[in-house]
Amino acid sequence: MFNKVLIANRGEIAVRIIRTCREMGIQTVVVYSEVDQTAPHVLEADEAVGVGSAEPKQSYLNIDRLLEAARQTGAEAIHPGYGFLAENSEFADRCQQANIVFIGPPAQAIRDLGNKTVARMIMSRAGVPIIPGLDQTSEDLQLFSREAERLGYPVIIKAAAGGGGKGMRTVSDPGDLSETFQSCKSEAEKAFGDASLYLEKHLEGPRHVEFQILADSFGNVVHLYERECSIQRRHQKVIEETPSPALTPDLRHQMGQAAVAAARASGYVNAGTVEFLLDREGNFYFLEVNTRLQVEHPITEVTTGLDLVRCQLEIAAGQALTFRQEEIQPRGWAIECRIYAEDPEAQFLPSPGKILTLREPSGPGIRLDSGIRAGFEVPMEYDPILSKLIVYAENREAARQRMIRALENYVILGINTTIPFLLEVFKSAEFREGRTRTDFIDRHFEGWKPDRGKADLARIALAAHDRCRSRTPAGEKASVPDRLSPWQTLGEWRV
Amino acid sequence: MSGRRQLKIGDEVKTLEWLPGEDTDQARVRIGEAEYAVRFQAVDDHQILLQVDGRTVRAFVDGGTNGKYVFIEGGVYRVEELDQARKRKSRAGLDQTPGEVTPPMPAVVVRILVQEGEAVVKGQGLVVVSAMKMETTLKAPADGVVKKIRTGLQAKVMPGDKLVEIEERG
Repeated sequence: MFNKVLIANRGEIAVRIIRTCREMGIQTVVVYSEVDQTAPHVLEADEAVGVGSAEPKQSYLNIDRLLEAARQTGAEAIHPGYGFLAENSEFADRCQQANIVFIGPPAQAIRDLGNKTVARMIMSRAGVPIIPGLDQTSEDLQLFSREAERLGYPVIIKAAAGGGGKGMRTVSDPGDLSETFQSCKSEAEKAFGDASLYLEKHLEGPRHVEFQILADSFGNVVHLYERECSIQRRHQKVIEETPSPALTPDLRHQMGQAAVAAARASGYVNAGTVEFLLDREGNFYFLEVNTRLQVEHPITEVTTGLDLVRCQLEIAAGQALTFRQEEIQPRGWAIECRIYAEDPEAQFLPSPGKILTLREPSGPGIRLDSGIRAGFEVPMEYDPILSKLIVYAENREAARQRMIRALENYVILGINTTIPFLLEVFKSAEFREGRTRTDFIDRHFEGWKPDRGKADLARIALAAHDRCRSRTPAGEKASVPDRLSPWQTLGEWRV
Repeated sequence: MSGRRQLKIGDEVKTLEWLPGEDTDQARVRIGEAEYAVRFQAVDDHQILLQVDGRTVRAFVDGGTNGKYVFIEGGVYRVEELDQARKRKSRAGLDQTPGEVTPPMPAVVVRILVQEGEAVVKGQGLVVVSAMKMETTLKAPADGVVKKIRTGLQAKVMPGDKLVEIEERG
């Protein structure tokens, strides 16, 4: 096993990876940009190396600096997390050239599966059904226009290197194609360092169901069952659960087999996710393979009892899987929701800024993977994800109730978050009955405004709070220091 | 601290009247037509325990001069003192006419689509800003001519900053 691992990421996923490394006795090195000098991942790691300015290209996407940081600290392997360079085959290649283990699949598998057209070819050969669309990626707007006409609007423009909904938008009106094309291109360039795009037919109101797979370098491949990720906004997942309320045992078996076939056909090694769209008739179509740890991996961890980061590290270190397919028996029900720094009242506009009061939920069946702390300035340069709240219970309804309880106890003040919105989604009859499709938010929560039923109580609380403060002797107030200690304000440092 | 305050939540302004009770931790509070019997106790700097008409309510309060956030059972209420809200608006010149080209959130300018002197039509994209990897195109509020561009590529901009001045036609 490795002695030291560098984590080329930030936020909650960097913190999550550090936790498993620490449990396994592996030293951790993190990198940070100028605006992340006192971010939680820096505070939790054994070593931290500053790699550049806030702009991702200068820091978290800067391959030279990341490899230099690994060399300088003696890290033997790099975990890329998700986003940033996680699905960048050049990065995987460069790690290999530098004799550093990339904790993820082989560069060739990333390249093949990251190229949508190659992935589609591989899948159709392996007998996995695919969605109609362009056969190749292109930067030619004319080609997109012709293909969109052929398929019929609406269509989806996707970043060839994409994932997580970045650089991906639906176009319903031919007049919007050009501007959307440009925006996707720029977003893709920024998020993945690759601007090439691809076009697919938009399916109406499907479900998004994905299978977690694990493959070792000895040809053993297993799946860890499904995650239902249908509740999305702007093509980004908001709520995930496992098992899926939509799968029958037979369909689950078929899709699991297809996922394993997809992994084998692409020469996959390490943890990955095979995504499918499931239509109302129970037909499933291959969407893509995410060649990395998924944001929503914790729900699989709590139902299977496996630590996916540990599995990743073991596979990357050349160890064989220690369990067979039939030994994997998921239990109970898990739900995750993503807490974003966004204003749900204003079309989910980003809401960067300083976190003031923070109080996290706890109790039976609750897990919180968080990348924030009180006093942290959430930067405008990165993904708006603040944390992920995961609940586990014996069945779906108990898990739903547990999630509501946990969200009601999750206090984040200072910036807008999606918590009030999520609460109402979980309380809705549509969610309770499992009617979750990818158009769920547009269909049931369009133009959502919060319930202000407790506004009078809020006014009373404010007035009472002011009364208490005015009674506090001046000396007591001054006891809370404004400045951070030198330990938090230091730049690059080592222990 | 005066007993009467105007507190705004969302679009709704209500007058709160604080009538101190016999004990220092008690009060009667009038909000609009309603009246509540309140007991209160600070738990810590940002947490307060209330009893409102006998019901226990735990609230968290934090924020600066431009409004406070109050958290109650999963709901977050942004409360503004009306006098302060008015003062701040006029000071920052934030009385927004719909004709302004300003970002809806703190953001970075990633593309400028027009040049000074260029004629534009209502709805035409002028500047693209990005925050948290999401791009937003700021559009021309009316037909006119670009009089002045008051920003540059990679500039950090805030709501209220006027990025492009349009001289309306007609």
